[in-house]
Amino acid sequence: MSDEKPAAKAPAAQPKSPAPAAVRLESVLSKRGYLSFAVLLALSVAIVPILNGLPPDSALHLPDYLVTLFGKFFCFATVAVAMDLLWGYAGILSLGHGVFFALGGYAMGMYLMLAIGDAGVYRSKLPDFMVFLDWKELPWFWKPFDNFLVACLAAMLVPGLLAYCFGFFAFRSRIRGVYFSIITQALTFALMLLFFRNETALGGNNGLTNFKEIYGYSLHEQGTKLMLYMLSAAGLFVAFLIARFVTTSKAGRVLRAIRDEESRTMFAGYNPTNYKLFVYTLSAVICGFAGALYVPQVGIINPSELQPSNSIEMAIWVAVGGRGSLIGAPIGAFVVNGAKSWFTVAMPEFWLYVLGALFIAVTLFLPQGLVGALERVRVKK
Amino acid sequence: MSATESAPLNAVVEEPIEPAKPVTHAEAEAKRPSDNAPESPRKARSPRISWLPKKRTVDQSRVDELTHGRKALLCVDSVSVSFDGFKALDNLTLVLDEGELRCIIGPNGAGKTTLQDVITGKTKPDTGSVFLIGDDQDLTQLREDEIAQRGVCRKFQRPTVFQGHSVFENLELTLPGKKRVFSSLFARLTRTEREKIERVLEIIGLKDEAQKRAGLLSHGQKQWLEIGMLLSQEPRVLLVDEPVAGMTHKETEKTAELLNGLAGEHTVVVVEHDMEFVRSIAKTVTVLHEGRVLAEGSMDAVQADPKVIEVYLGGADA
Repeated sequence: MSDEKPAAKAPAAQPKSPAPAAVRLESVLSKRGYLSFAVLLALSVAIVPILNGLPPDSALHLPDYLVTLFGKFFCFATVAVAMDLLWGYAGILSLGHGVFFALGGYAMGMYLMLAIGDAGVYRSKLPDFMVFLDWKELPWFWKPFDNFLVACLAAMLVPGLLAYCFGFFAFRSRIRGVYFSIITQALTFALMLLFFRNETALGGNNGLTNFKEIYGYSLHEQGTKLMLYMLSAAGLFVAFLIARFVTTSKAGRVLRAIRDEESRTMFAGYNPTNYKLFVYTLSAVICGFAGALYVPQVGIINPSELQPSNSIEMAIWVAVGGRGSLIGAPIGAFVVNGAKSWFTVAMPEFWLYVLGALFIAVTLFLPQGLVGALERVRVKK
Repeated sequence: MSATESAPLNAVVEEPIEPAKPVTHAEAEAKRPSDNAPESPRKARSPRISWLPKKRTVDQSRVDELTHGRKALLCVDSVSVSFDGFKALDNLTLVLDEGELRCIIGPNGAGKTTLQDVITGKTKPDTGSVFLIGDDQDLTQLREDEIAQRGVCRKFQRPTVFQGHSVFENLELTLPGKKRVFSSLFARLTRTEREKIERVLEIIGLKDEAQKRAGLLSHGQKQWLEIGMLLSQEPRVLLVDEPVAGMTHKETEKTAELLNGLAGEHTVVVVEHDMEFVRSIAKTVTVLHEGRVLAEGSMDAVQADPKVIEVYLGGADA
């Protein structure tokens, strides 16, 4: 892949001073970076299945429900990387990324619905909710989704296409800053209302659920769950590598330039609209990918995923972890979601207060997020 | 100048562009035998926008009328701009020669900044056109980045550099070419590009600061960096807005030296308030007043002009 070439190039392009920053940025990751990347990848993918495979009476045994929970976290972390690519590097705060996540989820959900076949409650080839609504035929746009590959592609292309169209008009009209954030909120709210309707043919407010199998494997098997977990973990690393490739390229430097001095970038001959559109679309595609992995693990997708608050929470993950590093964002996603899982069990009524307090505390005391704070401590020493 | 000011407005015609019309250029090219002809990539029209309505072009006879007998490069032709009824530019015509260093002065509200905005595409004029000789494209029809790619570059009054990037990266970003998303995604610095950046670093005297974050530079250094960024952009026309505002005496001297070095190879337009500075660099001075050219000529001639004295010293003429 493209990540190999810069590393090979780096020594050749070092004629003068010992460590020119421009050369270091040329490579996607440093040698040590690649090493820690590989180690972390292997650990994340392998450790959960290994611990889960231990005998149940062992102290280190990981219960089954935690496998799915961690799988979910990795999907969220992937979304966080996509958010950070957009917000941290291009300075575009989208508060509607739940849309792309949910669309990816719905695409996968449609496949999973059709994969149930006639094993549903009503013993019909049609998905249960359609039988319930007394529909006789599958709507046209459902038909391609009985193919697994089509569904996987659609999970990324549909969010990408929506982002491209939406972004095209928004960026061309030079909508930026909070105005962009607000219209993305409106976007997710509008889509939520649309998906609540039965006429949309996506299950209305119940959404899509009761999945049985994926690609021939039963979703209730622990092996399938482990496989989905491993895919989610690997997905985060792939997304990270793609994002890192973008941010360390010249395009990444242009994006940061647009974030800092948009008009100067324009007078340097770059068209900011195209750059923003590119990164927004890429970010949406990654979110769709994460959504498609999320749905078979949680077993349901419904319009509540499109709630504006969900999209805001995604921004909070990035803010907590620290933006503009690509490493902070997934850490933030793990921390916030870990806290959420614990709080919603221990004291569910307090979770929203905690989330709000966390956001305020991070904004006030850790403007660079957790990663930025760690960095500062390290520099002080 | 007065002859051109009374020229008819209909010089700019709305007609579709033929794919390539070297014939219309022929005369202009013949006048300037060796100059910018090989720089064709800059003139190449973006293929992506070919399906859009054709953009307005410039009539060759008008070009000849404006530029006869001079080695002109950029023409601002009868441009008017008004904001809410206030005429910022009033039928302004200005011809810049190749390689000259032109100073534009004038009291506040004379239209100096608006003029730069019009040339660089930030403001669209109500009437009139702007064009480069040898390129029949009317620049007022283009976006900012398209104009910049044609070699018209601008330095802002406030030093505007990419603060978060290193000095080296600042210069890298402004290099010509590779401005599209996908080409820049896979772009790698070539040896010639690297050498060019090194050369610019030497000219602006920031060689030792190459890896420093631009945000950490002093005010004067930022100004030079921005001039360097414009240099690495390989401009044909360089618009510089108040380059010595807020500079120390020494920095001012160095800036004058820098700008004088640039003229000749590039056409440089300096908009400045500091009369002492203008005197030290200018060969030709244009005085703007209320959106029109009040006087044009050498510094001495302009300063002796009674109209200019009236505007600068007489203050309110009503």
